[in-house]
Amino acid sequence: MRRGIAAAVLATAIAVSASACGSSGSTATGSTANAGPVTITWWDTSDATNEAPTYKALVAQFEQANPSVKVNYVSVPFADAQTKFTTAAAAGKGAPDVMRSDVGWLPGFAQQGYLVPLDGTPAAAEQSSFESQLIQQATYQGKLYGVPEVTDTLALMYNKSLFAKAGITSAPTTWDQLKADSALVKQKAGVDGFAFNPSSYYAMPFLYGEGTDMVDVAGKKLEFNSAAAIKGITTLKDLVTSPGVAKLDTTANGYANIMDAFGSGKVASIIQGPWETTNVFKGASFADKSNLGLAAVPAGSAGKAGAPIGGHNLIAYAGSDAAHQAAAEKFIAFMTSAASQITIATKNATLPTRTDAYTAAVTANPGIAGFQAVLKAGVPRPAISQYSSLYGPFGTELTKILSGQESVQAGLSNTTVQAQKLLPDYAAQ
Amino acid sequence: MTVAAPVKAAPPGRAEERRAGPLSRIRRSYDQFWYAWAMCAPVVVILGLLVGYPLVLGIMYTFTDATSLNVGHTIGVNHIPDTFSWVGLKTYLDILSGPDNQFWPHFWWTIIWTVSCVTVTVSLGLGLAVLLNRNVRGRSFYRLLLVLPWAVPTFVTIFSWRLMLADDGVVNSLFGAVGLGHLSWLSDPFWQKVAAIAVNTWVGVPFMMLSMLGGLQAIPAELYEAAEMDGASPWQRFRHVTLPGLRPVSSTLVLLGIIWTFNQFNVIFLLFGANNSDSVQILVTYSYKLFFGQTPMDYARAATVGILCLSILVVFTEFYRRWMRRMQGAQA
Amino acid sequence: MSATTTSTATKKPGARVRGERSLLASLGLHGVLALAAFVAAFPVGWVVYVSFGAGEFDYQHPQRIAAHPSLSNYTHVLTQTDFLTWLGNSAIIAGGTMVIGVLVSASAGYAVSRIRFLGRGSLMYTFLLTQMFPVAVLMVPLYKIMAQTGLLDSYPGLILVYCTTAVPYCAWLLKGYFDTIPVDIDEAGRIDGLTPFGTFWRLILPLARPGLAVAAFYTFITAWGEVAFASYFLLSPNKLTLAIGLKQFISQYNSQWNYLAATGVLIAVPAAALFYVVQKNLVTGLTAGGTKG
Repeated sequence: MRRGIAAAVLATAIAVSASACGSSGSTATGSTANAGPVTITWWDTSDATNEAPTYKALVAQFEQANPSVKVNYVSVPFADAQTKFTTAAAAGKGAPDVMRSDVGWLPGFAQQGYLVPLDGTPAAAEQSSFESQLIQQATYQGKLYGVPEVTDTLALMYNKSLFAKAGITSAPTTWDQLKADSALVKQKAGVDGFAFNPSSYYAMPFLYGEGTDMVDVAGKKLEFNSAAAIKGITTLKDLVTSPGVAKLDTTANGYANIMDAFGSGKVASIIQGPWETTNVFKGASFADKSNLGLAAVPAGSAGKAGAPIGGHNLIAYAGSDAAHQAAAEKFIAFMTSAASQITIATKNATLPTRTDAYTAAVTANPGIAGFQAVLKAGVPRPAISQYSSLYGPFGTELTKILSGQESVQAGLSNTTVQAQKLLPDYAAQ
Repeated sequence: MTVAAPVKAAPPGRAEERRAGPLSRIRRSYDQFWYAWAMCAPVVVILGLLVGYPLVLGIMYTFTDATSLNVGHTIGVNHIPDTFSWVGLKTYLDILSGPDNQFWPHFWWTIIWTVSCVTVTVSLGLGLAVLLNRNVRGRSFYRLLLVLPWAVPTFVTIFSWRLMLADDGVVNSLFGAVGLGHLSWLSDPFWQKVAAIAVNTWVGVPFMMLSMLGGLQAIPAELYEAAEMDGASPWQRFRHVTLPGLRPVSSTLVLLGIIWTFNQFNVIFLLFGANNSDSVQILVTYSYKLFFGQTPMDYARAATVGILCLSILVVFTEFYRRWMRRMQGAQA
Repeated sequence: MSATTTSTATKKPGARVRGERSLLASLGLHGVLALAAFVAAFPVGWVVYVSFGAGEFDYQHPQRIAAHPSLSNYTHVLTQTDFLTWLGNSAIIAGGTMVIGVLVSASAGYAVSRIRFLGRGSLMYTFLLTQMFPVAVLMVPLYKIMAQTGLLDSYPGLILVYCTTAVPYCAWLLKGYFDTIPVDIDEAGRIDGLTPFGTFWRLILPLARPGLAVAAFYTFITAWGEVAFASYFLLSPNKLTLAIGLKQFISQYNSQWNYLAATGVLIAVPAAALFYVVQKNLVTGLTAGGTKG
């Protein structure tokens, strides 16, 4: 008896480890094609509290219209999704059939062979209705790997009444004007004229404004050390240390603090994307929505204004079997149809990716209407898988540059050294 | 049933051996060998599978240029073959002396971080344990509050610290009230480090305190009585009775503390986020960033930093154990 | 159980022997302890306080919360999310880690403490070694093993992963505890015809309860609030743990800190309660565990 108990305990413990080695149960992605209804898994990275209900409702509509397909809706936090998908795909197990993927992730996924090309499939049937830069951003080496679901870009958001108080009648169109206007706002209205969120994505307009980018793909060059990039970042550093510009907040809560200051009228202008309009309208200063001014980001000395295009694509996983892939394509087509996009835009106040979704009902939202106007100034990213990874080292050094820990030149050449690890065959200049 | 109190036990095994004859001893030691291994098998299997295998693979990766692009994988119809190559010690050389000079700043900071965190945590833990070991009214109440940082998940409490350490947060209001001025805890590179050490200490003290308290209670009261009879002052009693009595506990606790702090992941990651605070990243968070923060993921470099962490700790542990043995020898 | 009570009762802290402490010393003692307790509890209290702010941005304006405290965050978390599913999963996983972790570390700790066998000396050192390698930097190989062994997206999988982080310490701790239990007990068991397993299970484990309580608490806490591994190895929405469920309040641009705080408080309550239950044993268990390194 005594022996029995002890042995049983041990056996249980070993059995747990052993069963671990033996069986290989089915995972989220079923890999057998069967005749019955196909269940596809969708990883959605939208805001689980505010945006997901809209998507879940659309999923229900889709299931009703397509009784042969069931959708397993999984909400995955945005911050985890890229690594979680990459890990699952690299290990060959656990990846979803469809995922909402940031536009920046797509080239990397495609290069690693994780994605199904969607050209000629039902998913891309209405390709011509989409904004062309968005299709360009979803294309890798000539093949379309994702269908744009929502889009965004950066714009100058300003508080009209604070600008009016300072006697400013139109939005600044160059960085120099923004600097002068900020000083004016501080002088006349007593609040900061501009606040900058010190992250590399938000610094992109300063590079585009000088006609450059992080890399020159055609010339196989890293552009951080170029005269144009140095000029752009020097302009930025000068701006954030100018009178009337809010003290730089590099803390982890910095982003939220800037949004709070803007919403409550303590800062007159910021560079921000459409995803924040809903929150801005909740702010005390924007109870009257018409107080929010939206303009294209200011231009640099080259006279060009440009902002990065963000947003999300729906992508299909290459590891799924034919039946699941077919169902996934159908699902993607449904979620990106004009009707679905109109629903998403009206419910979630995000920007549609197709021209035919900007209906009167959608543009009744002043945030969407304002951003639609600046969308054309968006600059698509080059389709190399490492591009989005450059934001990391660039952002790290940018913080050091802007907080005065290193000079513009030193910071950008440090960025170059780190960027060369990612792109060893690119010239450093 | 009352014998479980900390009575010093006879060294295990030896008594049995003396009693048994040579033949039966051999037979028994054979039996015992299998019994022992059967009892250790679950741990060994689990650790071997989930730590040993990745570790071996990791060591292999350090001699290659493996990334998520060139390590073979099959996704549906896409078959990507293994194309990484063996590069010998190149990855090590590159990390230790490459042009980006990322390793050494992180390394020195990791050392400072580990030493300060462990020193402060152990001293505070010991101090509080000594206080709690006295006959204080409300002892269990204090103990309950003091252990909260351990009982509440760090994910939650570190967020709280982020709010409290913000530029206009509670900590700065408090410092302002006593005239210490505003400090940029979460953005200034120096104060970031101070904040990181402070928060990690806050997280780590309860465990140290409880363990030390356990150690204190194992010191026989007679020793204190004898010391008192000899006219030892409280400080002398602490120095000559408490500290030596704690050594068996504290030497292991310090070693564990060093290992855990060296590889402490959560605090820095959660307190500062991944991007804006390069100088406060320790080797582990830095290596995690290399691995996860980019496309393609750099298996080789991440593994190399991981193996370097391991090697540093192995070397350190070896010295530490020798040093401890010498100390004990000197004492005896 | 009696072991615990007698040992704390008979153990006389030095102060008591020396009689009354001066008023000043007493004040100083309480002052230091109160300050330390305040510092330890304040951040936790702050989360509790923030959790009463109904608005998403109230955490940035803490003074607003005092004016309008509200339980709406708790209502939302409890009714609008899968909180109870997460709670159940966390309980299964943390409980499983506790049971398996304590059992395997106790049996290994016992073997190392009592039986002289080949590899005994290096075994504990190997345990220590596994703590020195940051496994997180090799998530993909680890994930592959999990996938190949069918442990992905399963309770046993996560339980085993947590065991790898908790067991080495617990085995060391319990070995130390077993060292303090006289060998005579094993002898008696052997004379009674018990196998080493039998001795371990019938005689030693009941005596080691305080040590087991520490190991149990330690393994439980390790698993209860863990985020990194869980966020990779759990895939199905109905398998998520609390720490991962909590992450759903953080999206790309937006964090609902009010809900996060409320969920955080709800997560902390069971852990704190468990501590309260085992705290007596905790100190006694560590007492013995520490005497033999």
